[in-house]
Amino acid sequence: MKNNILKLSILFISLAFWSCDDELNDLQPFTEGNPETFFNSVSSFQNGVDGIYSQFYNYYASAGSGMQGIPDILSDNVVLVQTGRTSNELYYDYRYQANNAGALTLWWSEAYEAINAANLVIGQIDNLPDGPEKDNILGQALAGRALAHFDLAKTYAKIPTQSADANGSNGIVYVKVEDGDTGDPFAQPARETVQSNYTEIIGDLVRASTLIADSNSEGRLDRNAVFGLLSRVYLYNGEWQNAINAADQVSTSLAAGTSLIDVYEDTTNDGIVVEFSVNTSSEANFANVGVLYSQSNASATISEYAVEFAFFNSIDINDLRRNVIQFVGTNQGNDYNAIRKFLGEAGQVNGRVDIKVMRAAEVLLNKAEAQFNLNQEAAALTTLDQLRTNRFTTFTGGESGQALEDAIQFNRRVELCFEGHRFYDIKRRGESVQRSANGDIIDGSGTPAEVQTLPAGDNRFQLPIPIAEINANPNMAQNDGY
Amino acid sequence: MRSKLTLMLTPLLVLCMTFSFAQEKTISGNVTDQNGLPLPGVSIVVVGTSTGAQTDFDGNYSINANVGQVLRFSYLGQTTVNRTVGTASAINVQMQEDAQALEEVVVVGYGAKSRELSTSAISTVSTEKIEAFVPSTSVDNILQGQAAGVQVTAANGRPGQTAFVQIRGVGSINAATTPLYVVDGTPVNSGFINNLNPNDIESFSILKDAATVSKYGSRGANGVVLITTKKGKSGDARITFRSSYGFGERIPDPFDLMNTEQKLELERQFAELGVNAAQSLPGANADAAERARLIALDTNWEEELLRSSVIQSNSLSISGGDEKVSYFMSLGYDKNTGIIDRIDGFERVSARLNTSYQAKDWLRVDANISLARSTTDLPRDRNNVQNPFRALYDYNPWDPLFLRDADGAVVVDDLGEPVFNPTTTGFPIARALLTEPEDNRNFLIIGSLAADMKFSDNFSNRFTVGATNNRFNRTNRSLAGGVLQGFVGDANFPGTQTDNFANTLQYNVNNLFTYTDTFGEFHNVSASLLFEYNENIRTDLFATSRGFPSTAFPFQDVAAEASNAGSEEDRRILFSQGLFVDYDYDGKYIVSGSIRRDGSSRFGPDNKYGNFYSGSAAWNISRENFMEGSVFNNLKLRGSYGTSGNQNIGDFNFLNLLGFNTYNGNTTAIPLGVGNPVIQWESQAILDIGVEFGLFNNRINGVVDYFQKNSKDLLLNQPLSQTVGDENNSILANIGEVQNSGIEVSLNADVVRSENFVWSVGGNITFLDNEVVELVNGEDIINGNTILREGEEINSFFLVRYAGVNPANGEPLYLDADGTVTNEYNAGFQTLLDGKSPAANIEGGFFTSFRLNGFGVRADFVGKAGNYITNFQRSAGIAIGNINRNQRVEAFNYWKQPGDTNVLPSPLFQNTADQTSTRFLEKGDYLRLRTLTIDYNLPSKFLNDFGINSFRVFASGQNLWTLTNYNGDPEIGLGSAETAEPGDAGFVPGEFSLFSYPQTRSYTFGVEIGF
Repeated sequence: MKNNILKLSILFISLAFWSCDDELNDLQPFTEGNPETFFNSVSSFQNGVDGIYSQFYNYYASAGSGMQGIPDILSDNVVLVQTGRTSNELYYDYRYQANNAGALTLWWSEAYEAINAANLVIGQIDNLPDGPEKDNILGQALAGRALAHFDLAKTYAKIPTQSADANGSNGIVYVKVEDGDTGDPFAQPARETVQSNYTEIIGDLVRASTLIADSNSEGRLDRNAVFGLLSRVYLYNGEWQNAINAADQVSTSLAAGTSLIDVYEDTTNDGIVVEFSVNTSSEANFANVGVLYSQSNASATISEYAVEFAFFNSIDINDLRRNVIQFVGTNQGNDYNAIRKFLGEAGQVNGRVDIKVMRAAEVLLNKAEAQFNLNQEAAALTTLDQLRTNRFTTFTGGESGQALEDAIQFNRRVELCFEGHRFYDIKRRGESVQRSANGDIIDGSGTPAEVQTLPAGDNRFQLPIPIAEINANPNMAQNDGY
Repeated sequence: MRSKLTLMLTPLLVLCMTFSFAQEKTISGNVTDQNGLPLPGVSIVVVGTSTGAQTDFDGNYSINANVGQVLRFSYLGQTTVNRTVGTASAINVQMQEDAQALEEVVVVGYGAKSRELSTSAISTVSTEKIEAFVPSTSVDNILQGQAAGVQVTAANGRPGQTAFVQIRGVGSINAATTPLYVVDGTPVNSGFINNLNPNDIESFSILKDAATVSKYGSRGANGVVLITTKKGKSGDARITFRSSYGFGERIPDPFDLMNTEQKLELERQFAELGVNAAQSLPGANADAAERARLIALDTNWEEELLRSSVIQSNSLSISGGDEKVSYFMSLGYDKNTGIIDRIDGFERVSARLNTSYQAKDWLRVDANISLARSTTDLPRDRNNVQNPFRALYDYNPWDPLFLRDADGAVVVDDLGEPVFNPTTTGFPIARALLTEPEDNRNFLIIGSLAADMKFSDNFSNRFTVGATNNRFNRTNRSLAGGVLQGFVGDANFPGTQTDNFANTLQYNVNNLFTYTDTFGEFHNVSASLLFEYNENIRTDLFATSRGFPSTAFPFQDVAAEASNAGSEEDRRILFSQGLFVDYDYDGKYIVSGSIRRDGSSRFGPDNKYGNFYSGSAAWNISRENFMEGSVFNNLKLRGSYGTSGNQNIGDFNFLNLLGFNTYNGNTTAIPLGVGNPVIQWESQAILDIGVEFGLFNNRINGVVDYFQKNSKDLLLNQPLSQTVGDENNSILANIGEVQNSGIEVSLNADVVRSENFVWSVGGNITFLDNEVVELVNGEDIINGNTILREGEEINSFFLVRYAGVNPANGEPLYLDADGTVTNEYNAGFQTLLDGKSPAANIEGGFFTSFRLNGFGVRADFVGKAGNYITNFQRSAGIAIGNINRNQRVEAFNYWKQPGDTNVLPSPLFQNTADQTSTRFLEKGDYLRLRTLTIDYNLPSKFLNDFGINSFRVFASGQNLWTLTNYNGDPEIGLGSAETAEPGDAGFVPGEFSLFSYPQTRSYTFGVEIGF
């Protein structure tokens, strides 16, 4: 009896356990896909392209380090508010080092992730049949790849127009699946030159311009976006005529001065050429980009940075842009020139709005500056007036020479302030950041900036390559001075 | 009260009387050990019946039996005594220690074994050490300082927080280093063991060397902690009730924070020096009247934000049995409010039933089940304005808890409630604790069913099914009108709530078929064949809604709309076969061997299986004839060598994966990370040589072990160039080898052992050394402020070296990469600091206990030495840029004039002064009085009238005294959970302090009554 039990038990148990090997081998991931097989239809490829955009959103919209605002904090547009959390003070005071956290580590990492996502799409694009849909996917991915590289190049390297030695100096690493740059996770690439970077950025954008659809839905790149970006990249690269030509290809019309507030509250997309959007009614993966400047509740506006007093007061009282730039924010008994852009959608103060990467106004300003640089002063003035008349009518106008150049640059500063341009505009023009001695309070009193000058040519115009990259990749040269 | 008790007990006594009438007679007596000391807990049975009893604390017993029946007295480690009942109604017994064959049984892998026949280095921790602890402490904390070779670092002082347990050093760098926990044969995830009731635990058995951990194959590399819960013993039911009450407080800092007067003065000085950030502070601008007003508001933020915790514990257990059935059941309730004011804290209710049933003469069935539910509303551990422990250091003393109007009166809102002051940080944490409630619930079931079949004298089989299931729920609310809603809420949808649900089921099926035989007279052989299948299934769900009509409804059904939801699942499968063989010659010469093959779903098709083996031998020298008459009653030499593995990594790391998310309402697909198809097990080889000895009838006994543990093919996140675009910027790879070696010594002695007075001392110490032996291509791996470099200590600190303050101008100085003094600070100056790492070189603990009649005092000390900690809390407390926050009084000691030495840098050099460097790297050595317990057992002569067997009152203090030079509390595991916690790349326990929940000191008082 017992022996039978013994034999049966052993048999049963052995059989039961031998079948376990299948369980082991058949287990597959539950919530992840296979990047080698997933991309097989237009819609799955569009998921991949939307993935690229989401990576942009990660670094443009970050509430702590968004590219939408840090370049203004690095400039003369703002002054640190002492009653805030002193967030990003390290950047404001130009004290960053390669081992600091924040924007310099986030952007480096996230921009290359956007590039990786783009290369994944580009590398498998032939899974789609030829046709306009395939072209549109490829165009978006190429344009995305170019923009991410451009963001890296303008931040971590010199800009071609910045100084005479810029083109030959260290650029960033341009990663293209077509060139065999991907596939080896242990790659340790060395930096290329700035000149080579801009050639490849323009190359990708030009190729994209021939493929991309005239119009894609909100938050995606399209033909206008590619030409708009080209006008900016050509301007950074000193190719004035190309900048003008590209700008002329952009058909997006300016937002009316009176509807500017609607643009920043996301009730209209007038004048938007490139934006990274958040759909606040249907998704929760948003960032509160406005927190870069302030946090508000019913009783207070805790400003991190305020509009610099002299800059704000140099704007014509009738200029409609004043309303989107400033409001009176009160905290701990003080009034501040709080920053109005990116405060929130209509009725909100949570800082959650679409990221404005490029507006039609910038395209005009790119064009005007290029025209001026080609000594086409009349044309430049006309282009500038196209914008100016839309914003206020009380200007004198008719400038020429230095006055015209100043007017273009002043309008550029006013129009694009707090949208992530100012630091790069100063940098690419080889100028110095010159901050005032005005304080943070609404009347210009209070505590002024600790560092009031960042002289042209200072190494801190190029952010350091994050220390983690230097440690992981011995071929990566650090920027001078870090 | 007494009459009430008598009244309650009367029926019980009547019942006893009834029984005595039915029996022939009542035998009573006293049992003592060979020294004449009373022996409590001796089991007495009437042979051939189910009648049984146990001696009480004074060694007295009473049992009913007929004349001619035999009473059997048995006790662990003592020779069993049989006495026939005669005419006398008193039988006193003096038992003798069974020194030749100490029957101490140790729980080893897949079964139990007599300690004498074990070839393995095993530490055991028994009940008495467990009882002295605060019950809401997670059970792993109890192991600290109790067992040689077991390094326990309390993660922080949060009630219910599990500890970091490492057995014999850093066995892995990236894969988890926590040992495998097995409760009564069922593996339990380390994260859930805080839900075990410490009062249910009979013993911990810690497996440290290859002889036993190899049997656990791929999960043995970090050692194995076997937890055995209490079982019923045959005899009358024993009812134990235990209740304690106490309170706890933050251990005071060894430094002072500034009061208002001091802080205003520092602000004034900084402003005068031209420090930008000080210009707008009150110290710079306030006139005399304003200054006086602020001084009158002086606030001690610790008092406003923290409180004394209340610690409560009640437990009841009933156990008993007869020859066929035994049972142990318990109920437990524990509460620890924690020291954060305005929230409820940690609470646990638990129940357990352990049964064993001899169903047939060849079949025994064991069934254990335990249920435990814990709740906590303690906030997450983070380093920002939402952390009350950061706030109490940050908030300025001139900022009061509530806003004041111009007249100094507290400002009230429309409802008449005082308005919390947002303070200079803009975030009133006291109010946020109320408006941002977070509530966690864990419900843990551990169950097992085992069948022991004995087919013949030679063949037996044990089949076990065990499962643990933990249900986790979290409700995270942000109330309308609350602190966060004001900032990030949607004005159209007031209030948000997120509910998380996760269910983790781990089940384990195993079968152990065993053959044992004796050849000739002395050759004992046994062999076991193991099959085991283990699967872990985790599912989770979450949902978020917004727009709540009122704060009164913590349910999403009432919300205006759902805004987010998700679900996912993970599985991990392990399938194993093993063969274990033991041989001994007359108990003198012992040889054991094991081999195990594991298959894991965590590795790719080519690397799914791993083989692990061990061999070990022992020589019981004290059994040799030539040892007869020596002072040694136990002397054993043993050695073992073998391998084990580690697979504690994420799932599917061998695949390239694509992750899905959303962008602007559209689905996104992005590459998640680069898979590594060739990853395989971390494997580990341990060599162990040990000596165990007992002298003078075991009055002195000890164990000395030397071990060398080599872990190779370490699973490590190898940092990648970020240009690759990997989401984690790293790839999991088998890189490198590390070695841990050390000597463990444990020693226990009864210094005095007399009838009325016993004094014992004991302790253990571990000397540990570790080294990175090999890394891929010999390349360093840098993880922020620590580094792995061949030939150096694991996780050596990698920091810029601080060279003090220039006495001429107050400028901070550093050493550059070449070691030259410079006034610049540059991340490129980071240097490996030889021999300085977060790992201690010496760890241990010791105790001393006195017992005089019924009184007892026991003190347990723990300590470690040789580790370093980056003190970011000090850095924050004296940073020049933090002048708008409160500071340590030490901040006054900055450079003021040429010639000043031993000072902090001048505030004029904020840029180079406020930087991470060796300036904040401190030694973490400490010695701490972990527990001090005083107790008193009432003599039984006072108790018998009440039907009470034992009555013990006790008082216990935890963390009463600490010796350290560290500027803060040196017992640091988690720096800040949200900055780095286990599972994060590069996480090293104890690397830095950063405002985690502080350690507490506590005082508890209690009573334990046995019926």
